[in-house]
Amino acid sequence: MQKLTALTDRLVSSTLVAKSDDLPALAAVHTLLQSLRGEADRPESRAAVEAEAGGADRLGAVRDAARTTERLVESIILREVSDAEASMRQVESAVASLQQMINELMGAPEGQGATQKSVPPGQTQAAAAPAPTATAAPSPVTGGAAPAATGAGSSAGDQPHRIEEADLPLVFEFVAEAATHLESAEAGLLKLDEDPNDAESINAVFRGFHTIKGVAGFLNLKQIGSLAHAAETLLDLARKQKLSLTGGCLDIVLESSDAMKRLIAALDAAAKNNQPVPPDASLAALLERLERAIKDPQSVAASAAKKSSETETATETAAATPNTTNTASAASAASAPATATPVSAASGDGSVRVSTDRLDNLINMVGELVIAQSMANQDVLSAAGGDHRLTRSMQRLGKITRELQDLSMSMRMVPIQGVFQKMSRVVRDVSRKIGKQVDFSFTGGETELDRNVVEAIGDPLVHMVRNSVDHGIEPPDARIRAGKPPSGKVTLRAYHQAGNVVIEIADDGRGLNKGKILQKAIANGLVPAGQESQMSEQDVFKLIFAAGLSTADKVTDVSGRGVGMDVVRKNVEALRGRIETASVEGQGSTFTIRLPLTLAVIDGLIVRVGDQRYIIPILSVEQSIRPRAQELSTVQDRGEMCLIRGAVLPLFRLHKLFNVKPKHEDPTQALIVIVEEGGRRCCLMIDELVGQQQVVIKSLSESLGQLKGVSGGAILGDGSISLILDVPGLVQLAVKSETE
Amino acid sequence: MSTAQEKVTANSDAGRLAGKYLTFALGREEYGLEILKVREIIGYMDITAVPRTPEYVRGVINLRGQVISVIDLRAKFGMESAARTDQTCIIVVEIQRNGRRLNTGIVVDRVSEVLNIGADKIEGPPEFGAAVRVEFILGMGKINDSVKILLDIDKVLSAEDAAAVAGAAEAAAVGAVGAAA
Repeated sequence: MQKLTALTDRLVSSTLVAKSDDLPALAAVHTLLQSLRGEADRPESRAAVEAEAGGADRLGAVRDAARTTERLVESIILREVSDAEASMRQVESAVASLQQMINELMGAPEGQGATQKSVPPGQTQAAAAPAPTATAAPSPVTGGAAPAATGAGSSAGDQPHRIEEADLPLVFEFVAEAATHLESAEAGLLKLDEDPNDAESINAVFRGFHTIKGVAGFLNLKQIGSLAHAAETLLDLARKQKLSLTGGCLDIVLESSDAMKRLIAALDAAAKNNQPVPPDASLAALLERLERAIKDPQSVAASAAKKSSETETATETAAATPNTTNTASAASAASAPATATPVSAASGDGSVRVSTDRLDNLINMVGELVIAQSMANQDVLSAAGGDHRLTRSMQRLGKITRELQDLSMSMRMVPIQGVFQKMSRVVRDVSRKIGKQVDFSFTGGETELDRNVVEAIGDPLVHMVRNSVDHGIEPPDARIRAGKPPSGKVTLRAYHQAGNVVIEIADDGRGLNKGKILQKAIANGLVPAGQESQMSEQDVFKLIFAAGLSTADKVTDVSGRGVGMDVVRKNVEALRGRIETASVEGQGSTFTIRLPLTLAVIDGLIVRVGDQRYIIPILSVEQSIRPRAQELSTVQDRGEMCLIRGAVLPLFRLHKLFNVKPKHEDPTQALIVIVEEGGRRCCLMIDELVGQQQVVIKSLSESLGQLKGVSGGAILGDGSISLILDVPGLVQLAVKSETE
Repeated sequence: MSTAQEKVTANSDAGRLAGKYLTFALGREEYGLEILKVREIIGYMDITAVPRTPEYVRGVINLRGQVISVIDLRAKFGMESAARTDQTCIIVVEIQRNGRRLNTGIVVDRVSEVLNIGADKIEGPPEFGAAVRVEFILGMGKINDSVKILLDIDKVLSAEDAAAVAGAAEAAAVGAVGAAA
């Protein structure tokens, strides 16, 4: 029966926006009428109304009215009516009376917001969200079990709460806004940690919870509402200076913020999957503690120490949840528009919410425009190069296209501020937990990165920051003995440099101990014993990124297991970035992560082998040379080697790996490109260098699966496709083929 | 099943399968593709080969900025490859893979026409015969005196079915490289 109301609401709004000559809109109305009729016809619906007197008759009337209206819409679509406008108005009044009939059928609305909201006509609905409703119409949200009456509305949220279809767009918007509110609330709380009397921050945090409470009430979200209300009450006391937000009180508000994030994430997931929201079991305990804090702040302040471990785990969820929410919404294929790209912090300059799907679409289209323009340019130049007017026009077109590309790429950029902010929390919680004093600061929060990169870099940064606090920074007494201030420093820096984004993580702790690293590496078999002398400092530092290597003497649950840095390196490389290490023993370490500004475009070196052209990412290329005969050698007559500046590197023939007939079989006539990836260097034999070009990466994995040695395809300026080589994969291929 | 039941099942299947099909030829055999799955038909163009892919994968092409893979249907069915003529073309089909829509091209010898095949003209797939594996066939359409094999193009192009063939092709390719090294 709920379905009938939902359908009717959508029908009303769709009819309002449909014009008599708008075929798609009319078709949508027609489909809704059909669904309505179908719904009214179902045995379950009949059973539901049987109990009431005349219920079955009224249902039958609904069905018939729907059918008549359906036919009317059909005739408008098929242009069989003489006066389309008049017929549309007939449809409108028919739909209005349908709505009336269904309302009567449902009897007195029982806290069911949907019916309430639609009686003051679907105008509010239509006005507020005509686009989302229209988008939602053809989606599979209509499928699935017809939700039963919203029982959760009445009870204190200890039953799963079913989200009504009409509320879905509002829920998604709420989720996005709540995330922003919670972010600024957390920033405020961390400021309060330093200065508990900062009135501005107290107000900011209060406002955050207050706004969430308001919208939660409107959407009938009981659990979120209760939590927001309790937190708000506590914060109000702080505002009125009836309590001080320090120690335990601050902790409990932080916990509430974490719990709120969890609830919002659960709501988001439920809304996306069209499931009811499960009640949160730990909420009752938290609410109780909040009540106690409100009644007697002193008791809570004292229990600060005990709570820090809980807060630690909460931080994990907190750090992870916003990521999940963001990734989930980024990847969402749900009906309503996904969350928006936050354009700027709460500075109030005008911004618009745009669905990320639309944005991605726009960027793809612009990418294709660039390729098409480049192709057209080549064709025009070769056909009519002498025509000045034409050349000038093409130049203008090229300029405009490039600007458009830059602009569209920039739309996906978000400042790294949010991620850095989260680190603040991580440092605070980890340092408290293991008893170290750490001063955390960051600069360059306004540095912008591609939205996807920001999400992906979050986890690696968390890990590295934790490492710094856990392994890098010494305990206060050890620091004093070493002549350092008892409080260690951990700083994050972000800035743009040469088309890359650079993120530095620096600490003034004990630095990397080369001896220990080598010891562990030899023990793990990563480095053959006796080789240490041949390794440069950089080589040793690179070892810390090997899987399973940890120089921690004991494993804490913060770090020490040796799985972290390896994952960090993989994550950074997956973003086509690199990570560098600098460290002085006793003074500290600095890790530098370099990431390309965009994910989809790379600088490629175009090489030719036979009649095929391939692209090698510039980042991997060291140099290219023509080898001399004396520099070449073979090992056991199978593996070829080349001597480059004192190092013997394996030589791989691309024409053999790819089964292409090359122009040159003799390396001294050909060229070799020295590439480096993941610490390994090798030589690739090619025929010639064609040039350097920025290319758009097109993924092949969807159609062809994971290809070894090929990371994707690129469309060159003349429209032909060139394969982008994946150096590590190539190396693996080559090694495999040589041992067979 | 009794013949009456068989007839009923056959009829409902045929009913489901009735509709418009794009017919094309591979050698002497004629096939049909559900028209709704056909995105477009393009003349043969240069295909960029992708190394270390199964025999039946000819490579990739640039379709207005989209990189799509192109399959040699003859190879997929285990037929001998044919020389290219000016009637050879590529049909771009839209299939479902892992719940997503994917555009793929198939190379065919000749595209014929779009036929409206009624339920009465469709029969179930043959028990045996053909170089074509039976699960790829939706049914057989009888038009005038000729029989068109109606293909389930999603199954034909789906990764799983190709697995057995892919394994053999890859082994052959690796062997060739190893021998050359």
